[in-house]
Amino acid sequence: MNPSSSALASRPENEAPERRRARDYDSPVARIALRAAGAGILLACWQLTAVNGVFGPGLPTLGATGGKLATLMGDPGFWIATAQTIWLAVLGLAISLVAGVLLGMLIGTIESVFYATRAVTEFLKPIPPIVVLPLCVMIWGPTNTMALVLVMIGTVLSTTIQVIAGVNDTDPVAMNTARSFGMGRMERLWRITLPSAASYIGTSVRIGAPAALIIVVVAGLLGGAPGLGSAIYRAQAAGDYPGVYALVLVLGVLGLAAQNLTAAIERRVLHWHPAFRKVEK
Amino acid sequence: MNATMETHTTNDVSPGNTPRLLVQSLAKTYGSGPKAVEVIEDLTFSVHAGELVCIVGPSGVGKTTLLKCLAGLQPSSGGTMAIDGRKVSGPPAEMALVFQDYSRSLMPWLTVEKNLQLPLRHLRLPAREMRSRVEDALGEVGLSHAAKRYPWQLSGGMQQRAAIARALAYRPEILIMDEPFASVDAQTRFELEDLCLKIRDELGMTILLVTHDIDEAVYLSDRIVAIGHKPARVLEVMDVVLPSPRNQIDTRALPEFSAQRTKVLSLIRQAQA
Amino acid sequence: MKRHAFNLALAVATPLLLVVVWYGTSSSSTNAFFPPLRQILSRFADLWLFEHFTSDILPSLGNLVVGFVSAVVLGVALGFVLATVPLLRAMFEPSLHLLRGIPPVALVPILITLVGFGNEMRISSIMIAAVFPTMIATIDGIRAVDSGLKDVCTVYQLSKRDRLLSVYLPSAGPQIAAGMQVSLLVAFIVMIASEMMGTAQGIGAMTLLAQQTFMAADMWAGILLLGLIGFLSNLLFDLIKNRVLSWYIGSKKMEKVS
Repeated sequence: MNPSSSALASRPENEAPERRRARDYDSPVARIALRAAGAGILLACWQLTAVNGVFGPGLPTLGATGGKLATLMGDPGFWIATAQTIWLAVLGLAISLVAGVLLGMLIGTIESVFYATRAVTEFLKPIPPIVVLPLCVMIWGPTNTMALVLVMIGTVLSTTIQVIAGVNDTDPVAMNTARSFGMGRMERLWRITLPSAASYIGTSVRIGAPAALIIVVVAGLLGGAPGLGSAIYRAQAAGDYPGVYALVLVLGVLGLAAQNLTAAIERRVLHWHPAFRKVEK
Repeated sequence: MNATMETHTTNDVSPGNTPRLLVQSLAKTYGSGPKAVEVIEDLTFSVHAGELVCIVGPSGVGKTTLLKCLAGLQPSSGGTMAIDGRKVSGPPAEMALVFQDYSRSLMPWLTVEKNLQLPLRHLRLPAREMRSRVEDALGEVGLSHAAKRYPWQLSGGMQQRAAIARALAYRPEILIMDEPFASVDAQTRFELEDLCLKIRDELGMTILLVTHDIDEAVYLSDRIVAIGHKPARVLEVMDVVLPSPRNQIDTRALPEFSAQRTKVLSLIRQAQA
Repeated sequence: MKRHAFNLALAVATPLLLVVVWYGTSSSSTNAFFPPLRQILSRFADLWLFEHFTSDILPSLGNLVVGFVSAVVLGVALGFVLATVPLLRAMFEPSLHLLRGIPPVALVPILITLVGFGNEMRISSIMIAAVFPTMIATIDGIRAVDSGLKDVCTVYQLSKRDRLLSVYLPSAGPQIAAGMQVSLLVAFIVMIASEMMGTAQGIGAMTLLAQQTFMAADMWAGILLLGLIGFLSNLLFDLIKNRVLSWYIGSKKMEKVS
């Protein structure tokens, strides 16, 4: 590469005057300091509102919430509830993933099945699983099974739709190449179609992981299934407001972890995909 | 066209006058300290009113950096720039730029007509004036029929015409073009080159065009500024003397044409060696 | 051509067939969970078409619309500010991602502790939960504005207002719309959740009450209604989106052809 364009590539902040200012915030020290300042401002707002008593006891102080958080950390019941929540989300998502890949390959490769199921999937797509929560609670009661079924209902369709899109996106040239090598139908499905759909499967995991977590919480909060959701419900019903806030914060951290973890796994597994390739400039 | 432009025709260019654009000792270095990359060392050249000047240099010599500095998209690290003798800093209002990549410079959510109107809005023109400017500019580039269409509904050549029309409607003192024909096919390229000459002849527009294509530079230019070396500096400024009006078949067949292009080519080759 | 017609027929016939099969096989059902479809439909008509239309459906939908619209306005405004002011972005973006990680439904008990069980709680829960997808999509969309377009703004010295309204927002439009669609889904979920927690009014409350009192047909009628609202609200959004973003859809089609 020539010097002018490589200089441009290595210093994109030079491209526009407004971007140059961003550089001042890019050093690691400044970044951490600014993040801390931002979080500090938000926390200070919280504390001030709580101390002034605008919302009465409904908004506990930072101290009370922090204290409760510390208590929770030493409480085995909390860890069991957390483990249960994560386990249900992971198990439900895994089952959905397997089912979704199988269904998606079936629907995506056979045209008549695709058309036959089209209207049904299009209708069900925008309907969240919370809608069928009453039915699941009626059948299974406030149990792990109910939460698991709800997670599956909530994630299997989006996985299937992603896999169908991936199958449709298979490069016809790759397909014809495989055919010219005399690969059979099943072999093509396994060696060409499935890898082609891989990035779509990755997307469905990245969307599905936070969704699964949310659904487990909903199942606990509204349907009484064991886990963090019902812990929040109990804290709220008992007037333990610091407990509500502490648990919700824990959920925020879990949600963030789920997002980052799945994104990292996706990058790892799909390092060959154009969207994740590190471009050498 | 506005008053300044009407008074100029291609014939009254006299090198002794204050040039329309004067660039002196322009330099650009990215970064600072040991990691600094010097892209432009020292560029000095001028463009007179109604002239078409081409800056020619091999790919990667820093032509785009030069244009970005001229257009105020990047601060330069040294040197000065003056328009009609007035020093300019920051993006000069008297300039319009036609970018190489038309697909990234036209707004895909606006029709061709609206794309042309967008830069005119802050000039607070009367509605009638605005409409007539847009109509004139579209007529000039032969796109009157496509005013209501979206850029992406047009061919690449037509999109670049629309981008040129946008610059014309803005009525700049100087029209700067960055490799404007690099993204279109050869046939369209000839058409757009002739459009460029037509604009210069009919409107007396002052044009500074950057290209890596030596044939194109010779065909279009009144003068060529050849740049080379790393970091970039001016190799030579030469007048192109070819009979007017030029046309794609006869002009390119002239012995003067090939003599001129041989000269530029060997100059650039030498600088690279 | 023949094949195309066959596929179309298949697409139309299958859902109809499913409904007929459901109707037929359930007609003499005595299963406590799966009452006859006939009975569900008649309860649907009784409950929702007349009796509870103004008392439950309208308030639910009103909360959904008010919460969603204010979330979108707030989300786009905040997202725009955060995307264009580097200092604010550096300060608050990490905190925002933590807040976004909180399951939207978990905001309902928080809002209950703050403002009680009233309508304000429902609207504010919907709004706060739905603000994040739009806001984050706006930040990402505006940051992704093509540098070529930014150069055009600088060269032609567009005013701040023109930059915002004619370049940045339309350019980020497709991404913002995608964020809004997620916001709509979140708003719908939180609408149901806010009605299912400790109140007696609204479609969600009635459906949960039917479940708790083992009125299977009433519960199914509620599920049916909620499903329809979810589907129709998304359909409406799609129609508006396709209208507003017709330039984007057109340009994408051209890209595929070439």
